[in-house]
Amino acid sequence: MAESTWKDYREKKKSKPLPLKGIRVLEVCTLLMGPSGPGMLSRLGAEVIKCEMPPLGDTLRSLSPFGYFFREQSTSFIRPNPNKYWLGLDLHKPEGQQVFRELAAKADVIEENQRPGVMERWSVGYRQIKEVNPSIIYISKTGFGQWGQYARENRPSNDGAAQAMSGYAWMSSFPGQRPLKSRLYVCDSYGALMGEVAVLAALHYRQRTGKGQFIELSQSESIMRAMSWIWPYLHITGEPAMPAGNRDVSLCPADTFRCADDTFLALAAPSPEEFRGLCVAMGRPELAEDARFKDHVTRLQEENATELLRIIARWVRTKMPAEVEALAEKHGFAASRVYSVRDVVEDQHFRERGFLTEVDDPVVGEFLDYEFPVMMSKTPPRVRWTVRPVGFDNEYVMTNVLGKTEDEIEGLYECGALGKWADVLGRRPPADWDGKAGRIMARD
Amino acid sequence: MAEMGEPAWEHWARERNDPKAARLKAEALDDVTVLDLSYKSYAGCYCSSMLAEFGAEVLRVEPPGGDFLRTCTPYGVLHHGEGLNYLTEGRNKFHITLNLEKPEGREILKGLVSQADVLIETYRPGVMHDWGLGYEHLCEINPRLILASITAFGQFGPMSRSRMPDYDNIIQARSGAQYDTGEMMPEGMSYDDCPWAIPTKAGPWIGWVQAGTFMAVGILAALHWRALTGEGQALDVASAEAYASTEDWAATWYQGAGVISERFGNLNTACWLYCFAPTKDGAVFLGGLRLEMWQAFADMVGKWEEWGAASWQDLAVFSEREEQLKWAPLVFAETRKYTNEELVAMSVDYARNGRLAPITPVVAPVCSPEEAMHDANWLDRGVFAPFHDPVYGELVVAQAQYKMTETPIRTKWVCRPVGYDNEHIYLKYMSLGPRRLEALREAGVI
Repeated sequence: MAESTWKDYREKKKSKPLPLKGIRVLEVCTLLMGPSGPGMLSRLGAEVIKCEMPPLGDTLRSLSPFGYFFREQSTSFIRPNPNKYWLGLDLHKPEGQQVFRELAAKADVIEENQRPGVMERWSVGYRQIKEVNPSIIYISKTGFGQWGQYARENRPSNDGAAQAMSGYAWMSSFPGQRPLKSRLYVCDSYGALMGEVAVLAALHYRQRTGKGQFIELSQSESIMRAMSWIWPYLHITGEPAMPAGNRDVSLCPADTFRCADDTFLALAAPSPEEFRGLCVAMGRPELAEDARFKDHVTRLQEENATELLRIIARWVRTKMPAEVEALAEKHGFAASRVYSVRDVVEDQHFRERGFLTEVDDPVVGEFLDYEFPVMMSKTPPRVRWTVRPVGFDNEYVMTNVLGKTEDEIEGLYECGALGKWADVLGRRPPADWDGKAGRIMARD
Repeated sequence: MAEMGEPAWEHWARERNDPKAARLKAEALDDVTVLDLSYKSYAGCYCSSMLAEFGAEVLRVEPPGGDFLRTCTPYGVLHHGEGLNYLTEGRNKFHITLNLEKPEGREILKGLVSQADVLIETYRPGVMHDWGLGYEHLCEINPRLILASITAFGQFGPMSRSRMPDYDNIIQARSGAQYDTGEMMPEGMSYDDCPWAIPTKAGPWIGWVQAGTFMAVGILAALHWRALTGEGQALDVASAEAYASTEDWAATWYQGAGVISERFGNLNTACWLYCFAPTKDGAVFLGGLRLEMWQAFADMVGKWEEWGAASWQDLAVFSEREEQLKWAPLVFAETRKYTNEELVAMSVDYARNGRLAPITPVVAPVCSPEEAMHDANWLDRGVFAPFHDPVYGELVVAQAQYKMTETPIRTKWVCRPVGYDNEHIYLKYMSLGPRRLEALREAGVI
């Protein structure tokens, strides 16, 4: 066990260095797929400056479950946007565009998710930015990429569009039922994650060669990459790929079962030793020798899998979830209750690892957030602060990064290039904010 | 505006980013050597694929019998003896065998470690350590090494000693993602009547994929840190945490209001307009997350007057539960009048000619995978370009998911059988020629 490597990880992580130290990122993103990517880099220690259109900023600031706002902030807005600096910058104005180019000259990465060609219309497209910073890494993240029929038609997109068009939703329902949308914005979060693989690979290349580049990412293409067997299956067998409910058709047995108390439990025992363990746990050791179930590839065949899953379903229906989990632990197969969000937030293991982390934020107050899910022994990623009103850090960014004088900053406000939040829910600070807490400059 | 004489943006981007030209360009990670010891883990294989696509030299180290994952294939379908999931993630990797249960095997691994930048492994916590291959041992051999472990519960914490293995359907259950995805139970019905109205997982291996991709990001960040300081480190992903971390509103809702997010079918608890809607010949996704887009939808289906769209002030009102349940049937009654194709065309046209143009609602057809795979847009963009592999013949795997001007990803080969590259790799890294290799094979070491 790697005891010395991970000893006191959670307790000590706040005083360790961050891995992306020295990387500066400019974000011109809204909603989820755009901001989530820089939100990962900011957890890893990059300095992320989020540019929003004043005074309303990011559309995501409006969205919250059944209209519930957490301390007057959109609950959806919190997770993708930690550790950022908040700039209210109007890119419709030439003065705003000039400020952006000055920042770009000092940045390593630019991330945007406007529709194709919009950044160029604002004079801050890749071709214009590389004139002031040839080594910039510039990523555009959209539904359909920058070229091709759908991009040309200028189609807007959302997570749900990618779930629909990729075949992902079609593969995620019960047989005979309508295609089902994941309640997660899975194509947003996954598209964002995929984008960061490309950004960091490009940074690595830049370190070796000094060369920047332009990257385009399509939400649908990202999720299609993750759909593994489906494409070769269609190509090789010529058969349609069918949804299978909670059954995993590539692992057997692996399914979700109903317990005695009408809650649900996922179970998996595909490898030989795991399957033997399950058969023993069920009191049916002979099943492990049954010709229909003996080896994995045979077990996976439709008829055999259906029969085996029926046997397991009957067994689990008589058990409480904790009983099956204990047997799984004892016999070395996998089982887990289907966790609700309460189970996740209250899980002791997640807490002791520090995956659930306490944020003590000067503006929003104390709450639990999820940490970046890669624990790094020498450079632990972490959430330090959370969301801010539109334009909250204007003075800091203008003074510290660009060396602007008070007069120059005043001029930028006067022409409307810089701006701050509107007095609207999701934009303004919480009601109990004292006008100073969390501000880096211009506290008076 | 672009300089005069420069091509339009779309042309510029296509000219530089078309995957057809990818192989003529440089590779971002071709200075990085990765050992991938993944076993029974699509997460590990997918992680090393993310690096291999960028040109990293990935050595897949399997036990002499091969990875169990090779047998994990839909309905037991094999292609040239290979499972289809493994087939998609063998790309660009060298496949070698090594028996880590034998001391000689572990010595060979240490030789490889001393020459590698990254080691990916998915054994239960403690297994590598008991073999003398834990981070404390390996960092002595190579302090620059990045050791990346992906497991069910991670390397530390109260459950880290669990004997339970890591599978995708368990990740989906444990992360909280499955619980509130699925159809609502129709009024007066029970699980016996509607066995499909239950927590529903995604079909694809999204839990494993998230874990593997997060680790790829972690590895690249660790490589950056190493470039600054020369230091390697250990990385730890607990796969349920990786998938759970992508949830973006329910945890805060629970903390603030004590509400547990429940299934809401094809509507969306946290926004409107955001649903799948039935049509004459299937279903479409509808999206309108700004008031003007929801108004544009009403206008597009001819309900501007009747629904009073001009007087709507605040989109947030519509996302209330009761409002959603009231409006959804009204919307569906309209979408049922059209085919998918008609609705998509209406949205594209509205962006040009509508009252609120260029604002238009998002309308996207719900496609089967066959439809997606034959969609001319994705074919044009090279995602499903057939690949001819010398071992496995012509195959279609999803690829080219990023388009990049300098270092695009590419597929050089799709997969390799167990131990296919033993001769080349052991000669290259360990100077083991055919006679010594044969002796090691006979001794059960490779």
